[in-house]
Amino acid sequence: MIEFFNVFSYSQDRLLLKKISLKIHKGEFVYLIGKTGAGKTTLLRHIYMDLFPTQGNVMVDQYSSSNVKLRQIPYLRRKVGVVFQDFKLLPDRNVYENIAFALRAIGIRRKELKSKVLSILTHVGLNHKRYHMPDLLSGGEKQRVAIARALVNEPFILLADEPTGNLDPEASKSTIELLERINQGGTAVCIATHNYNLIKFAPHRTLVLENGEIIYDLASGQLNKIVNI
Amino acid sequence: MNLLFFLKEALIGLKRTKISALITIVSICLSLNLIGIFILLGLNLKDIFFRFYKEIEVEIFLEPKISEDQISKLIAEFQNYSEVKNVRFVSRNEALKEFQDIFGTDISGVLTENPLPASFRLTLKSSFSKPETVEKLTSKITGLPGIQEIIYQKEIINFIHKYFNISLIIIGVFAVILIVIMTILVFNTIRLTIYARRDIIQIMKLVGATNFFIKGPFIFEGLLQGLIGGILSILLVWSITVIVKNIFLSNLFVSAYLYTFVIGLGIFFGLIGSYLSVNKYLKYQ
Repeated sequence: MIEFFNVFSYSQDRLLLKKISLKIHKGEFVYLIGKTGAGKTTLLRHIYMDLFPTQGNVMVDQYSSSNVKLRQIPYLRRKVGVVFQDFKLLPDRNVYENIAFALRAIGIRRKELKSKVLSILTHVGLNHKRYHMPDLLSGGEKQRVAIARALVNEPFILLADEPTGNLDPEASKSTIELLERINQGGTAVCIATHNYNLIKFAPHRTLVLENGEIIYDLASGQLNKIVNI
Repeated sequence: MNLLFFLKEALIGLKRTKISALITIVSICLSLNLIGIFILLGLNLKDIFFRFYKEIEVEIFLEPKISEDQISKLIAEFQNYSEVKNVRFVSRNEALKEFQDIFGTDISGVLTENPLPASFRLTLKSSFSKPETVEKLTSKITGLPGIQEIIYQKEIINFIHKYFNISLIIIGVFAVILIVIMTILVFNTIRLTIYARRDIIQIMKLVGATNFFIKGPFIFEGLLQGLIGGILSILLVWSITVIVKNIFLSNLFVSAYLYTFVIGLGIFFGLIGSYLSVNKYLKYQ
């Protein structure tokens, strides 16, 4: 479903990714862990083709980074949901409008739109707050809205870049639980984090990145073999 | 559906960036107003010159001993000229009467005979009023039998023709400069608006909106700004014309096309400005 073939990526002279070869299967839950600057975000950006490899190839669904056309990228992104640490919500729109916007922006009809938004809001447990403005939500709730927006197009994978970075431990746990529930529904989840406790709380396959290179690819529960958590 | 989305997003955008939208609208309005005034000036200048050109008259004095037959031949000849709109024969008696009407003195008592010659007054078509055309016509007439002298307002025609062209060039240059300034101004203010709303562009890109969908609201926003700027500018130009008509120039020429042109130009600049700005932003993203 997602495959990196010996990917090297440079920005000017700086090495961003080095010799990355990996496969993320359908419905898998994967962590990318590493220090700041290790290459986690860069790797995610290669998946939603915001960045392209200098050498090697990235396959996402049927799209290949080596021959994808710029006009095809929006269609690829409809299959890949992305969530950020800072939520990226539109501050002047309520919860419902924030999610509906993602559907309107890809030309979904009004009839279809309402049922989709309400369904995803129920899924993330925020239906009762659909008319709230983002300012009135807690960090955890904001992240749920961001997750709902990323999921409303029914992507096959959800990429989350430090999704708990701005959240307290309780909200972090609840966000991870939500992501696990989403994963159980069949959507693959890939989380970039530097929070080892998160992985301890909900263990899954973990890729450890250092200086742009994957130094470990660990199965669920094996992280304690390399780090003393 | 798409158009509705674009329109809705454009209105939200205008509401969200009130100040910069207002700056853009005011810039468009003032620039269009200046362009409108320049066009108004040009049109009125043209109107004044056309009015003058319509009345260009060449007076041909005839020899005293010219026969009736020769006069008839000359009338036929002049009526044949494509440059001539109207031919009027003024007999010696008519000339004397005109003289007396103008100066209010009866010279028949002082002079034993009428000293004034008979003449033709040719009114030229406005399209044949250029100095070189009039010159050509007079030299053609000079060679005809029975012609004594030809008089027309040569210096005035030359003067007006020369300064009319210079004025039109000056107005045109100013209009072009204003259009260029306006394009840069609109382009930059819209670019600032777009930059202030990069979050929405980023979200649209992330959720898989095509470039067409991303550009749509911004282009609509530009169109609305141009339209509002154009309407305000028309109101301003209209107010100015009303004031000028009532106070200085009652016969000020105002064309309805001017308003259409100004509003069209506003929409055009709003569209082009926003299209170029959003395109540039997306290109360097």
